[in-house]
Amino acid sequence: MTAPPPPAGGDVVVQAVGLRRRFGDLVAVDDVSFEAHRGEILGFIGPNGAGKTTSMRMVTGYLPATEGKAVVAGFDVFDDNMEVRRRVGYLPERPPLYPELTIGSYLQFVAELRGIERGRRDRRIGEVMDRVGLSGWEDRVLGSLSKGYRQRVGLAQAVLHDPQVLVLDEPTSGLDPAQVVDIREFIRDLARERTVILSTHILSEVERLCRRAVLIARGRVVAQGSLDALRARVDRGTRFRVELRHPDAGERAQIAPLIGALEEVEQVRPLDPADADAGDDEGFLPFEIRAPGDPRTAIARLATARGWTLRAMERRAPDLEEAFLHIVGKEGHTQARGEGR
Amino acid sequence: MSAAWAIFKKELRVWFVSPIAYVFLGAFLFLAGLFFVMGIQQNGEASLRAMFSNLSVSLLFLLPLLTMKHFAEEERLGTFEFLMTAPVPLWALLLGKWAASLALCALLLLLTGVFPLLLAIYGDPDWGVIATSYLGLLLCCGAFSSAGLFTSSLSDEPVAAGLGGVLVLLPFWIAGGAAHLVDWEPGRQALRQLSFLTHVEPFSVGVIDSSHVAWFVLFSFAFLFLTWRSVESRRWR
Repeated sequence: MTAPPPPAGGDVVVQAVGLRRRFGDLVAVDDVSFEAHRGEILGFIGPNGAGKTTSMRMVTGYLPATEGKAVVAGFDVFDDNMEVRRRVGYLPERPPLYPELTIGSYLQFVAELRGIERGRRDRRIGEVMDRVGLSGWEDRVLGSLSKGYRQRVGLAQAVLHDPQVLVLDEPTSGLDPAQVVDIREFIRDLARERTVILSTHILSEVERLCRRAVLIARGRVVAQGSLDALRARVDRGTRFRVELRHPDAGERAQIAPLIGALEEVEQVRPLDPADADAGDDEGFLPFEIRAPGDPRTAIARLATARGWTLRAMERRAPDLEEAFLHIVGKEGHTQARGEGR
Repeated sequence: MSAAWAIFKKELRVWFVSPIAYVFLGAFLFLAGLFFVMGIQQNGEASLRAMFSNLSVSLLFLLPLLTMKHFAEEERLGTFEFLMTAPVPLWALLLGKWAASLALCALLLLLTGVFPLLLAIYGDPDWGVIATSYLGLLLCCGAFSSAGLFTSSLSDEPVAAGLGGVLVLLPFWIAGGAAHLVDWEPGRQALRQLSFLTHVEPFSVGVIDSSHVAWFVLFSFAFLFLTWRSVESRRWR
């Protein structure tokens, strides 16, 4: 994992309070509140259809909220919509391109709409095209571009006017792995001085780019906070993985209860022997152990005392994906029961 | 205003880098030539009255096909979302799009200028009448574009938007012809007033009457206003 961007804690630039959006009878987004700071990439994550895009659209002012409000760069999204539009760069889920135009003429059009002075336009367009890996592509017709290139043009369009706030809806979809690395680097760069809200369903993207994230499912925020805090929500106590061998194969079943009896250990779960590092032909058994502290010395001592062979013992990194499924699953469950929406 | 200008240029560029503008110009010039020849043969006089009258009706059918892409296509491409999150006031968007249609029409009418010139070689046309006839046609273009823009904002299916535009405009053509079917003078009057032919006719005989100009201007504004409402309401749905 790459190092997270510089610490957040700058001024609050985007603030959403109780956003709610109905489409007829359907409540697509309900009571969504969050904050994003300067110098931060805020992850907005959830399964498809969770309300991410609707939330993004309300923050950019494209969709008026049924209830609640959003303030971006000090301006109310609804009351001062034009001021917000000037300060936000937005990459919608589908890059907004005119298939008939060339990349160059399209970006000229965007620059003009964005009010970039005529004298600065060419230079700025050149800079941005360089940065997203489009240099030399001015004359390509947008309609003939592959998904990855369309995405780059979409990103170029969003950053052209050097906005204070960037809202990116699935910015790396359709890119190949090398391009993904490039674009992530670019986004990280952008976030140094700005505020980026990154909506995605790809967890590893959030892990690589964000320190904080908002988890959304069925239109509601189910959790938000630093990634560490989100992981901790599922990892009550830390997990360890241990591989042991009993000298007498017949007595294997003793191992788990004996470890479980240790004061330091909360729970022991035998894993599938096929998961052992070198297969189970040597008779090693893998276990997963949960403990509030670090039980490793105690386990080592026990193993020595009992004459077991200890082959591996490691702390398992908390897994955001697991946290995500855990939180989303739990919330979805209670909601289905509670409201029957 | 600069946003409206940017939109205006973008629309024209999109038309001219795709076949649309050329097909449109070609079709219209072909029809104009046909009407020109037919008109001269039938009347045997150096007048373009028949051509202008037929052209105004042709525009009623052709213009919605030109404007149908305006909003329907933006919606389909996802560019509408872009325009509504860029600092472009809605009026600038409407104005830019409407003016672009009008500009293409102006080019079209300019190209039909070859027919009066032909006429001038063989006869002695009345240039004043020709000038007012062109003004009448341009006013028609403004009105029809605005109605086409409106139907384009109702659907994100361009074909539906185009046919819808023709359907919305048809009554304004037929009303005059249907007037004699009505056995009630005020009703007859109302139907005649509704028909754009009633209002374009005076231009083709060299008369510029402000009330007729006002009719077209009002017509254009009314549909631009409806478009504005329709686009606004789209975001709330």
